[in-house]
Amino acid sequence: MGNSGVTAMSKQRQSKFAIISIVLALGAFALFVLATFVDPLSAYSTVLMVAGLALLIASWGIYFFGGRTAQKLEEAAENVITVIGCRSCDLREERAFTLGDYIFKELGQCKKCPGNSYIRAIYAVPLKKE
Amino acid sequence: MVTAGQGLFSLGNDMTSIIVNIVWMVLFFAVILLFNQRMQIWSYQRNAEKATARLQFLADKSREDALNSIKRFAQENVDIRSQVTGFLDFFLIEPVDRDPFGVLGRLEHILDNRRDRFKAFVSQIAPKAGKTEAANTEDILEAAMALTFIFKIVRHYLLLGKKTKSLMIFVQLDMQLPMIMKMAEAYYNAQKTFSTGKPIGDGLGALVASKLMLGQPKKQIAEDVVYAELDLSNRKVVVLKAEGPGGVVGKPGEAVKQLVENLGGKVARIFMVDAAGKLEGEKTGEVVEGIGAAIGDPGPEKFKIEDVATKFKIPVDAIICKMDIEEALTTIRKEVVEASDVIVEKIKKAILERTKEGDVVIVAGIGNTIGVGQ
Repeated sequence: MGNSGVTAMSKQRQSKFAIISIVLALGAFALFVLATFVDPLSAYSTVLMVAGLALLIASWGIYFFGGRTAQKLEEAAENVITVIGCRSCDLREERAFTLGDYIFKELGQCKKCPGNSYIRAIYAVPLKKE
Repeated sequence: MVTAGQGLFSLGNDMTSIIVNIVWMVLFFAVILLFNQRMQIWSYQRNAEKATARLQFLADKSREDALNSIKRFAQENVDIRSQVTGFLDFFLIEPVDRDPFGVLGRLEHILDNRRDRFKAFVSQIAPKAGKTEAANTEDILEAAMALTFIFKIVRHYLLLGKKTKSLMIFVQLDMQLPMIMKMAEAYYNAQKTFSTGKPIGDGLGALVASKLMLGQPKKQIAEDVVYAELDLSNRKVVVLKAEGPGGVVGKPGEAVKQLVENLGGKVARIFMVDAAGKLEGEKTGEVVEGIGAAIGDPGPEKFKIEDVATKFKIPVDAIICKMDIEEALTTIRKEVVEASDVIVEKIKKAILERTKEGDVVIVAGIGNTIGVGQ
């Protein structure tokens, strides 16, 4: 359904920010470990500490502020079908919904027989995401 | 390569290392002990701020969409913006229930007043709208009002939490946000469905009734409700639904009451068909049978059906079709349309099994009949 499409999109965006935030935090952790345990790098421990802290702040910032301005509406991913039938024969046609359609609307003479055609059903089919 | 170093977290036994480690530990515990609650508040507050921004966006967008829908039926050179914006804050005060005697009568009176005000407002701002378009416009306004209300409530608790710096306010708000956001997104998408006049999931009951009464002459009974009579294996079946294809629910309780009283209470069974909320894990379009008045109104209509059924000792059968709130408010899904055929067959079978020849049966299709004619 369309609404679930919108919700799914925003959830996807949220999880993307969460993953970036976790990656940055892990990067910061790695820098701290390098600065502490790897002897040849101990001379640069201050630089590594500053870089690690910068990564932590970026991680924190993305976690808290990520998606704040993402106020777009992804359009509903659904296909609405109108099914046409006939009161006298087995006519069944499908077409896209158009404004003014409603279920049991009379559509005049049938294409196959002298009977009256009408709208048998209208329903939404969710579009599969590519 | 990897050895104990003298870098960031010194591991040696010299005085410098010990002091550095003590400083780190003091800093760590200071942050955890002194700023723990503040950090939690920041975290919850950020979630609430994000949700509020989203809700404001949805509320603003729904207002603009409503204006665009109404403009088609408004008079030229008339500014409807201020009128519509003001109307979105329209409210209803529920009757006092400290003395519950007659509360449903008073509630019905207030709901009738509200419906009348809505109709009057729509005819005032959209005089070119026909009956169907006017009914759909009422639904569009309802959705915009719901979104405005949700946004204002969430913003209220966000600002209250910030003002009082109360972690508990933020925690309670944060726990409810997933459901609130789901509901808000459903209302937003419902508004788009209403503006195009497509049938919605909640219209399942009306769809079933329409299928049963197809080809029969229809008569008006109660407000916005029509009924038709048909013969099914020598049983008289009276089918009723809200009058479509405009977006109305009518007063089916009043209609059932009037029909039963007109028939002198000689009704063998009442069948009620409605859409019902599904539990997580249940399938959309699942058809379930039970007993009782299957109607989700605020009370008065359900009460009338229960009251008249009790008075004349009429069994009430309920057939429901499962769907979630999003599916109930947006374009009807294929599974639900297919379920309507299953329900029609179930009703026919149940009438044959549970009633005898010559009996009178009432079938009430409950729900919003937008996009469903008869």
